[in-house]
Amino acid sequence: MAKKAKPEKAKKGISKIYDFGYLRYIFINIIETLLRMFPLLCKTGLIKIGNPDRTSPVFLTCNYHLTVERVKRALRGMDCYLLVANSRGINVWCASTGGHLTNHDVISVLKTSGIEDLVDHRNVILPQLAATGVESKVIKEKTGWNVIWGPVYSEDIPAFIENKLKKTPEMREVKFPLLQRIEMAIAWAFPISILSALIMIPLWPEMIFPTAFTIWSLSFFIFLTFPLYSRWLSSEGRRIGFIFFDFGKGGFQLILWGIVMLCLIIYSLLAGLTLEFVLRWAVLSFIIVLILSMDLMGSTPLYKSGLHKDRFLEVFLDVERCRGVALCEQVCPRNCYRVNRELHTTTIVRAEKCVRCGACIVQCPFDALYFKSPEDEIITPEIVRRFKLNLMGKRVIKIE
Amino acid sequence: MSTYILMRILESIPSRYDRGIRILTLGKLDEVYDRLTSHIKKGQRVLDVGCGTGALALRAAKKGAKVKGIDINSRMLEIAERKAKELNLNENTEFIEMGVAELGEEKDESYDVVMSGLCFSELSDDELEFTLKEIRRILRNGGMLLVADEVVPESNVKRIVSWIVRFPFVLIAYILTQTTTKPVRNLKEKIERAGFKIELARWNKLGNFVEILARKAEQEGKYG
Repeated sequence: MAKKAKPEKAKKGISKIYDFGYLRYIFINIIETLLRMFPLLCKTGLIKIGNPDRTSPVFLTCNYHLTVERVKRALRGMDCYLLVANSRGINVWCASTGGHLTNHDVISVLKTSGIEDLVDHRNVILPQLAATGVESKVIKEKTGWNVIWGPVYSEDIPAFIENKLKKTPEMREVKFPLLQRIEMAIAWAFPISILSALIMIPLWPEMIFPTAFTIWSLSFFIFLTFPLYSRWLSSEGRRIGFIFFDFGKGGFQLILWGIVMLCLIIYSLLAGLTLEFVLRWAVLSFIIVLILSMDLMGSTPLYKSGLHKDRFLEVFLDVERCRGVALCEQVCPRNCYRVNRELHTTTIVRAEKCVRCGACIVQCPFDALYFKSPEDEIITPEIVRRFKLNLMGKRVIKIE
Repeated sequence: MSTYILMRILESIPSRYDRGIRILTLGKLDEVYDRLTSHIKKGQRVLDVGCGTGALALRAAKKGAKVKGIDINSRMLEIAERKAKELNLNENTEFIEMGVAELGEEKDESYDVVMSGLCFSELSDDELEFTLKEIRRILRNGGMLLVADEVVPESNVKRIVSWIVRFPFVLIAYILTQTTTKPVRNLKEKIERAGFKIELARWNKLGNFVEILARKAEQEGKYG
């Protein structure tokens, strides 16, 4: 035994100095942040973390590769099981809200991964943001597993476990800190600069790097200065794109671009410049206009995308039906609800913060919550559960 | 603005699904499905696992079988139901939103035939193993399993040729419909190991598509 232990110890020593695991983790984070806009899938099924036994906790996440890496990192040092459900390589929130991470996917991994033979309990901890697509009631009915809504961010898992599976309000809320903003800036800048470089190759090869530089700086500028202008933003009205320009509002930026182009043409006619010169500047400035008028609201966790019609909806509470079980409070990523545990009553205390994710409506066991459109149209819990949002933010109800 | 166009396409996956799959399989799918359902007889109880828009289920119903189709995509099921109504087959067919992991709800030995077209290639290894075990349980003794699916060819040469031939179709299908499939490895062996006796296995020329007719064997599978 002693002989066997020795080389292992030595190996540990080396990896401690260099920490290859950490280097690998950083490398994966960089590459996959560049490719953040695209689905990246990994294997579904069961992962053992540490040396779990029959009472160890069971966690569940989606099969977006970066998410799995991050959850694994957060669970380091614990003894537990991690189930990876099929979300088609999309992150938890987008997959759940868009109908790519469903009850079926969760049931499937619970039933087919063999976890039922490994643990004696039937409690599974799901990421809170999956609450827009996965119904705890259905999971319980179909499999007997209790769904416990874990924290929004995997880094809070250790504290969540220490706190005896109770979430603090901070653990329930989505945030948009510097690191996440940098991630989003890179996630936008990288594919756009690649795309514009491809357009530039035949048109104006010398301008590839200046264009890329412009795109990266603009993207970083928009996201880094977010806290400075975020107070003026709202899902229904002002949007990030609007801070600069907004296609939606009469195409102001297009008119401006048109005027600049007209001036450019007149100038080049007077100065005797070639058509090629005009064309090049037209393309370059159009790319910049396009970036400035992109709707980036949906890239923040704090607002609904400006493309989504859902942003005009409002959540209503049917007080008669509410029994104060506080599931809405558990799953709301903006801490909009306050539940009085003695009187068993619920109030929507921060309605203005709502991102219309619909998690509360999906989870309410008494159907006490529903959406209402500005035209007073009621969107029932049944519809919110059954019809998920597509990329345009529409619930496709009728088949064409 | 190209993103808008992509989004528009994404909006209508189910209605485009049939077409996407047809591109992927070079239009040979109808032929395969006709051949597969020719083994079904009148009055048999049939389960279609992953029925999608009902391509197999409706063929079986036309032959007078009593068919239940399950799928996890509710919009595809709506299309299947509508088709059944148009063909006046809605009395013999039943479409239910249910995943393979929920097959536990079905009673032991309650089906004469279980069939599955292009569904196994959408499952993970764990799911496929579970599904085959469950299918064996719900089939009556001597009951039939009919499978048509994309597989990884058995020979190395065919594997490379198949990849090259398939690639442009995968790309076109992905661009048009955002659907793609993952061919199954060693499907025949997996079915045998689950306790079935293969009666007929027919590969296409490239060896990347197989039709299988198997029967529930007397002895238990190796999966137990």
